[in-house]
Amino acid sequence: MKKVSWVCIWALLSLGSALAQQERFRKSPPIPDPLPLLELPKIESARLVNGLTLAVASRPDQPFISLELVILAGESQSPQSLPGLASFTAEMLSRGTPLVSAADMEERIDAIGGDFSTTTTPDFSRFSLHFLDGFLDQALETLSLMVLQPGFSDREIVALKRTQFYELRQKQRDPEFVGRRQLLRILFKEHPYRQSFYSEDVIKNLTRKDIQVFYDLYYRPNNALVVLAGNLNLAIAVRRVSHFLNTWPARDMERPLLPSPQANAEERFCFVDLPQAKEATLVIGNLISPLAEPDYFPLAVLNQVLGGTPFSRLFMNLREAKEYAYSAFSRLYHFRSCGYYAVTAAVIPSASSASIREILRELDRISREKVSNFELEQAKSYLMGYFPLRIVRLDELSRRISELLAFSLGEAQWSGFNDNITLVDADRIFEVAQRYLLPKPVVVIVGDKDLLLDHLRDLERLEVYDLKGVLLYALVKGVEG
Amino acid sequence: MSKICAGVWLFLFFLTSLGAFADQEEPGFPFPWSRFTLKNGLEVVLSEDDTLPLVSVVLAYQAGSIYEQPGKTGLAFLLENMMFMGSLNIGPMQHIGYVNRVGGEPNASTTEDITYFYETVPSNQLALVLWLESDRMKTLEIDAAKAERAKQSLLDEITQRKTAEPYLDSLLAFDRLLYPDFAHGHSILGREEDILRLEVEDVRAFYATYYVPNNAALVVVGKIDLARTRELVEKYFETIALGRKLPLFLPPRPPEKKEVVQAFQDSLVPSPAFHLGYRIAPPYSRDYYVLAVLDYLLFKGKSARLYRKLVKKEGLALYVAGGIEKRKDVAVIKLFAMNNNETMVELCQKSIISEFSKLRTSDISSEELAKAKSLFKRDYINRLASPMERAMFLAEMVFSPVGLDGLPGQLPRYMRVNPYEVRMAINRYLVPESSVTLNVKLK
Repeated sequence: MKKVSWVCIWALLSLGSALAQQERFRKSPPIPDPLPLLELPKIESARLVNGLTLAVASRPDQPFISLELVILAGESQSPQSLPGLASFTAEMLSRGTPLVSAADMEERIDAIGGDFSTTTTPDFSRFSLHFLDGFLDQALETLSLMVLQPGFSDREIVALKRTQFYELRQKQRDPEFVGRRQLLRILFKEHPYRQSFYSEDVIKNLTRKDIQVFYDLYYRPNNALVVLAGNLNLAIAVRRVSHFLNTWPARDMERPLLPSPQANAEERFCFVDLPQAKEATLVIGNLISPLAEPDYFPLAVLNQVLGGTPFSRLFMNLREAKEYAYSAFSRLYHFRSCGYYAVTAAVIPSASSASIREILRELDRISREKVSNFELEQAKSYLMGYFPLRIVRLDELSRRISELLAFSLGEAQWSGFNDNITLVDADRIFEVAQRYLLPKPVVVIVGDKDLLLDHLRDLERLEVYDLKGVLLYALVKGVEG
Repeated sequence: MSKICAGVWLFLFFLTSLGAFADQEEPGFPFPWSRFTLKNGLEVVLSEDDTLPLVSVVLAYQAGSIYEQPGKTGLAFLLENMMFMGSLNIGPMQHIGYVNRVGGEPNASTTEDITYFYETVPSNQLALVLWLESDRMKTLEIDAAKAERAKQSLLDEITQRKTAEPYLDSLLAFDRLLYPDFAHGHSILGREEDILRLEVEDVRAFYATYYVPNNAALVVVGKIDLARTRELVEKYFETIALGRKLPLFLPPRPPEKKEVVQAFQDSLVPSPAFHLGYRIAPPYSRDYYVLAVLDYLLFKGKSARLYRKLVKKEGLALYVAGGIEKRKDVAVIKLFAMNNNETMVELCQKSIISEFSKLRTSDISSEELAKAKSLFKRDYINRLASPMERAMFLAEMVFSPVGLDGLPGQLPRYMRVNPYEVRMAINRYLVPESSVTLNVKLK
């Protein structure tokens, strides 16, 4: 009996120790397998007889087709007196032809399980149509109606003016939108990109004639590109797109590169009043090089270290250590002639001044001290790991290809992306930080002035703007002067 | 006679072939998947996708807000937050850090019935995610300081949501009318007074009851090797102890069939509005499939009937949105409209009723039904567009009454809906005695 008991105890102890041993793996993260090979979809392209560029990424497993039409004219092509014209023209395209009403266009898109949207940037206007596989002809027919026979009817112009007016009004409730718009108005003061950052009151100035002139000038096949991704190949795409768009007439035109604006150099603090906002929203930024420049890759790594994720310096400092902020991130934005970086943070009002100091301190620190090897490798690992996630959906893939083509980026930003990130070292980051982060950024603060201005008294000079970007007055150490 | 018989057989054969063709045309889930259950009850689903070197992992718990008790609202959402605050081997916020460092995206969401935790990472990092998820399932560290922090974060979220969504208060009041039982009718956000009173023991009890393997489903989709993935899942999850028997969740008694109309005064809304709802057939019941297609006919797409009629043609509403909403075993159709003034509210409601009357008496055209189905199919397939979305969809299906085995037949069921069924469903469900209206008036 005793023997049996000892055997039981021994067996239990062995089992316990086996379990404890098994659980050791829980104490530290597992060692990963080698980084898998990234095989990107092949992009094939052709130029049609009327000059239209066509690119195809074949994905035979997909039940959708994603189509992007890019017109290489954006808001920076809007005349100085008519900001918003490029965006308005793009939106008007889906609002009917002389023979097909806007409602019928919507019916056509819905019938193919379509999702249609329009985006206008400072450099281009993009039309995205994502639809069920099997409806390629119907989709291209609808697109050709939009591109070749837009109606620009007075009725639809009035309706769109109303919609855009209210949409912009609505957007102005978002402090981040207001802050970023104000930042860009200042950074692009004299530059054509300034045209993109308009207020809702300019929309009423647009006329049918303006729209028609803009369309006639820029909506040309040799100033456009089409991207198709899904269950099709280049041969089919060339045949079908030619069938529907070969009557689109080309026109001689140039697409000069706009000059790069000068970065801000002087300390500048700006305030925009947003009544009833509970938090202070900070948007701090300055200009950087365009996407196509070799500085892009070290800048991308730098941005990761600074504020790309919740584990970057800004978030860890402002939210985790100081508890000033709900969020604090940095991001790079790119146009054809230049780019800009923006740090955005939503902070508690009483900590707004301290938060600005901390952000400026972090910008200064990264420009004066080389990043550690740990931070460098962590940031590179993030960027390389995240790269395929940016093209995981078919619509993301076609959008990415359209940007590669619109910005003439080539393989460096596609198949060469990971290699280029691998080559970045702490010296290159230090170099670009000195070049782009040392010049003093523009600081924009958005919030309720009754709640915030008291907390911003220690700023030497604070310019106060209205939502239209008009300078109302300036405060010197909190006093109007 | 024999010729007729042959004709009938041929016709039947033709119909069968059509059916087979339809099934072939509309596969409910056109990706391979396999499943197994661990000894502790954890349901595991694996699905391969070699397109990109990525893997998505979803760990779903039946731990949504419907499992909260009166006076303890907000617990489900609070716990979602606390799952990022550290477990035995992973420090606070380190979960996000580990995933971010390899280029992954971690996230979580709470619905009325399920709380999801999900990550997409490079496929060589699958073990990392399983390590992270298993640690917080097994040994989440809950203490009073963390609970206080999570409570504050939830209260901040409520304040932010109320500022950003002026109609939120009226929507929550409307939900309480539309779902008269406590479990389904209260908000995921919870009541502020309940959240303030929550104790750390409440959080521990909710975690111990619901965050257990026998109440969870783990889904892995992406570039994976099935045998190796199974091995890893077993390594990290098999030794987690089975939880206690889960409390019985009873579906609510059907509410009394009676029209409800009430007013809600609000000083913060920009214009008058109304919420209108109908209690309909439960999710995945026979009529539910018909009503899901009807949802698209009425509300979805730019050419949907109600949007076009109320906003575009008649100009009675500034904004209209609606659709089916399901909360575990109960489904409703909801509509929200914003109007210029109260006369417009009244006219808008009359116009909706007149539209329903029209649909009640005559069948919709096959073209209109085909359009609604195309849009439905688009959104259905869109839920399978990436490994992450596919994993979320599979996790939801594990807990649905049709289960994973019913998955292949789902899309074809929606696609088979015919105009007569739509008319019958409207007659059965879109009737005054199933409706709830809440008129939002400016104070």
